[in-house]
Amino acid sequence: MIRTNDLRAFAGAFRLQRAGIIYALILLIIVFQILTSAYGLPAFTTVANLRNLFDQTALDGVLVISMTTLLITGNFDLSIGATAGLAGATALIVANTTNQIFGGLAALGVGIGIGLINGLIVQLVGINAFIVTLGTLTAVQGFLLIATSDKTVLARHAAFQSFGIQNWTLPQPVAIILGIALLAYSMYLTFKVFKQTSVVIEQIGIAITSFIFGLILLAIGTAFTGLLTETTETWIMIAYMAVAGAIMRYTVIGRRLYATGGNPEAARLSGININVYKIAPFVVCSMSAGLAGLMYAGKFGAVTPTSLVNEELPVLAAAILGGTSLFGGSGYIVKSVIGALILSTLVDGFNLLNLNANYQYVIQGAVIIGAATIYTVGMYRRRVSKRKLHEAEAKAVTLENIRQR
Amino acid sequence: MVYPNGTVALSRVNLSVESGSVHGLVGANGAGKSTLLKIISGAISPTEGRILWQGKHVSWNGPGDAISAGISCVYQHTPLVPTMSVIDNIFLSHRNNFFWAPDSQLKAFEELCELTGYWIDPWAYINELDLGERQMVAIFQAMSTRPKLLILDEATASLSIKERSLIHRTIRNVVSSGGTAVLFVSHLLDEVKDISDSITVLRDGQVVLSGSNSEIDETKLIAAIVGEQPNVNLVGNLFTSNSNQSQEVALEVKNLRSPNNVDNVSLTIHQGEIVGLAGLLGSGRSEILHAIFGSDRQAHGIASVYGRRVHRTPRSMIRAGVVLIPEDRNKAGLISTWEIWRNISLGFISEYARFGLFLDSDTEIRLAQEKIAQLAIKAQSVDTHVDELSGGNAQKVLIAKWLDDKARVLLMDEPTIGVDIGTKKEIQRLIRRLASRGKAILLVDSELDELLKLADRILVVRHGRIVAERISAQTSVEELVSLASGL
Repeated sequence: MIRTNDLRAFAGAFRLQRAGIIYALILLIIVFQILTSAYGLPAFTTVANLRNLFDQTALDGVLVISMTTLLITGNFDLSIGATAGLAGATALIVANTTNQIFGGLAALGVGIGIGLINGLIVQLVGINAFIVTLGTLTAVQGFLLIATSDKTVLARHAAFQSFGIQNWTLPQPVAIILGIALLAYSMYLTFKVFKQTSVVIEQIGIAITSFIFGLILLAIGTAFTGLLTETTETWIMIAYMAVAGAIMRYTVIGRRLYATGGNPEAARLSGININVYKIAPFVVCSMSAGLAGLMYAGKFGAVTPTSLVNEELPVLAAAILGGTSLFGGSGYIVKSVIGALILSTLVDGFNLLNLNANYQYVIQGAVIIGAATIYTVGMYRRRVSKRKLHEAEAKAVTLENIRQR
Repeated sequence: MVYPNGTVALSRVNLSVESGSVHGLVGANGAGKSTLLKIISGAISPTEGRILWQGKHVSWNGPGDAISAGISCVYQHTPLVPTMSVIDNIFLSHRNNFFWAPDSQLKAFEELCELTGYWIDPWAYINELDLGERQMVAIFQAMSTRPKLLILDEATASLSIKERSLIHRTIRNVVSSGGTAVLFVSHLLDEVKDISDSITVLRDGQVVLSGSNSEIDETKLIAAIVGEQPNVNLVGNLFTSNSNQSQEVALEVKNLRSPNNVDNVSLTIHQGEIVGLAGLLGSGRSEILHAIFGSDRQAHGIASVYGRRVHRTPRSMIRAGVVLIPEDRNKAGLISTWEIWRNISLGFISEYARFGLFLDSDTEIRLAQEKIAQLAIKAQSVDTHVDELSGGNAQKVLIAKWLDDKARVLLMDEPTIGVDIGTKKEIQRLIRRLASRGKAILLVDSELDELLKLADRILVVRHGRIVAERISAQTSVEELVSLASGL
C-alpha cells in the first residue's frame, strides 16, 4: 500500500533544492537547442557537439570530484590549478628525458607531495586551509615558472601526443546491459522503500539517480550509439566519478568523510581518526590535480606555465553549483560533475551562438550566485517549517504520554 | 497565542511579576514557557492580550524595545563571541559610548563582581572558559544593563551546585538591592522552590497553578506539571539498590594524569556497577572521562578493560567496548545535519558494514527503528534530522548511538542535562537497566541528589584528584558537597 508519507518523501526528492541542478542542465540544453535552431546555427545536440562538450568538461570534472571530497571534510584547496600545471610540465620534462611511464608517475608524485604539504600543515599545525593553499598556490606557480624557464614545454613522446585525443568505444551490449541493470536496481530500491515502515530519503535519491543514469545508458546504447564513442579524457572522468561516488555512498570510508566534515569533534569521539580523514582528501585532491595535469599534457601535447592558472575557480564554482557546502558535511560527487557540465555547456552554447566570450563570465557569475541563493533560501525555509511541524507533533505526543501516565 | 500554522501555544495566560520579587515559572517541555518568554521579551507579539509594564500598556516591536525598557534575558546557552574577552562580551551591546571606554567598563565590571560575589578574569577569552563560566558571563552581560526585569530561562541547567547557589545568591542580591524583578524558569523544582517568592505552573498553554511559594508544596507542584496525581515513581526514590553487580572488574584505570586538570586518578568499575563522579564545576570530572577515553591526547596512564590493557585512543577504546557520551550533545555528540539513523549507526559503523567496509543501510535503518521504539524517541521517522528534535529526544539519540552489546563500559557525562523531567526519569531508568544488564557505567552528574539515587558508589573529585570514595547508601548530598568543596 502506498502511504502519503512515502509520496511526500518521494516528492521531496524532486524539490528544486535537491534536484535543481538536473533541471538547470536540461533547461539550459533546451534553451540552446531552441536558440541555435531559431538562428539557423549548427544544432546544440549533435553527437559531435555533445562529445566535444564532455571532452571539455573532463578536466574540471576530474578536479571537481576530488575537490568535492575535500569540501565534504570541511577543507578546500586553492592550489589545484598550479599543482596541475606543475604536474603536467613535470610529466613532459621527465617523459622527454626518460619515458612516459616515469613521466606519468612524476606527475602523480608531484601531486601527492603537494597534497601532503597542504594536509599536514592544515591539520597538524592548524592553519586555515585558505591561507595554506593560497601559499602553496603561489609557491607552486613559482616552481612551475622555474622548472619551465618560463617557456612552453613540448611533448616529444608519441604517447603524450596522442593519448588525449584518442577515442574509445563502449561496446553496445555492455551499455544496454548496464542500463538495464541500473534500471532494475532503481526498481528494486523503490520497491524496498515502499515496503519499509519508514521512508529513507537517501534510498530514494539513489533510486532516482540510478534510474536517470540507466535511462541515459539505455538510450545511448540503443538510439544514440554515436555517443558510445568518447575521448580518453571523458572516460577517465566517468570512471573516476563512478569509483569516487561509490566510495562516498557505499563505504564506511565515505560515511566517515561526511562525519568528519559534519562535526569533527563528534567524529573523533566516535572513534574516527580525524587526522587521517582530514589529511587524505588533500592528498587525493592534489593527486587528481596531477592527473588533470597529465590529461592536459596528453590533450595538447604541451604545457605552458600559464595554461592551468586559476583553474581552481571554475572547479570551486562547479562544486557550489552542485550544492556542496563550503562548511563541510554535505555534497554529492555526481551533482558537482553536473555542475561542471553546466559551466562548460554555457561556454559551448555561447560559442555556438557566436556571442562575445566576455559575456560568458557575467552569466557564469550570475548562475553561481543564483544557485547558492536557491540552496540557502530553500534550506532555511525547510528548517523553519519542519521545525514548527515537529514541535507541534512532539508536543502532542508528549502531552498524550503524560496523560496516559 | 496562536501560531500561523494553527498551533495554540498559549491560551488566556495571566502572569504578573512584582518588582523586588522572584517569580518561578515551571512546566513540562512544550507547555508554552518559551512562547510566553518570547512574548514578554518582545521576540514575538501575542495574537491576543496585553502586556502591562510598570502599570503602562506597552507593545514591543522587537526585542530591542523590551531591552531598552529594562528587560534582560539569560538562556541556557547565551550566544557569546568566543574570540572576544569576557569584558568585551559583557559590554557588547552597550551603545551609549561610541568609543570603547576600558576604564569605565572595568569599573562597571568590578561592580558586577561585587554584586554577584563572583570573580572572573575580565581579559580571559570566552573560548578558554568552560560552560559554567560562560554562563556567568552571560548573566553579567544581562545584569550590566541594570534591568528592571531579569528573565532566567533554564539558565542554571548546565551548572553545578556551587555555581547554581552562586546564581541564587546573585538573584537574591539583585532583588533585595532594589526594584528588580526576576522571572525564573527551570526544570529543577527544588531550585524553583528554594528561590521563588511565587510560582506559576503552565501546562498545555494554560496556567494551571499560581500562587505564593509557601502555599505550594512539592507534591502539588508536580501534580500541576504532570496533570494528574503524580506517579509514585516520580516523587519517591526511584531506584532500589543494585543487586546485579558482580565482582568482575570491567574497567581499571591507573595513574591517569593530564595537564587538563587530571591528577593521578586511579579507579575501577565492576561489571553492572554505576560509579558516580561528584565534584564542583571545574573539578575535572569531565576531564577524567576524556582522559580515560583517550580523547584528551595529552593524558597519560594505564587503562584496562576486562583485564586486557587497552591503548587509550577513542578508536581502540570503542573497539574494546568503552564508549563516551559527551556533555555537549550539539558540539561533540551529534552531527546535526544528519538523520537519526546515520547518527545512531556512526558509533559502530564498521561493525554494521559488510566486510567492515561496505555500508549496509538496511541494517542501520532497522537498528535505528528498534532503538527509537526502545527509547521512545519522539520523531516522525528515522529520517528526521537531529537538529529538528527537542533536547530530550536528541539526548536519547545520543545515548541510542551507543546502545549496543559491543559497548560494555559507558562513560556518561551529564546524560540528563537540559531535558524535561519526564525524559530525565526515562534516561535514569535506562541507565539503571543498562547496569542491571551488566554494563559498567561511570557517571558525571551535577545534580548530586540524582547522582546519589542512581549510583552505587560515588567518587568525589576535587582539583582533578579523587579525594574521597563513598557508598551511595551511606552518604548524603551535604557530605558530598562538603567533600567536593574541600570544607
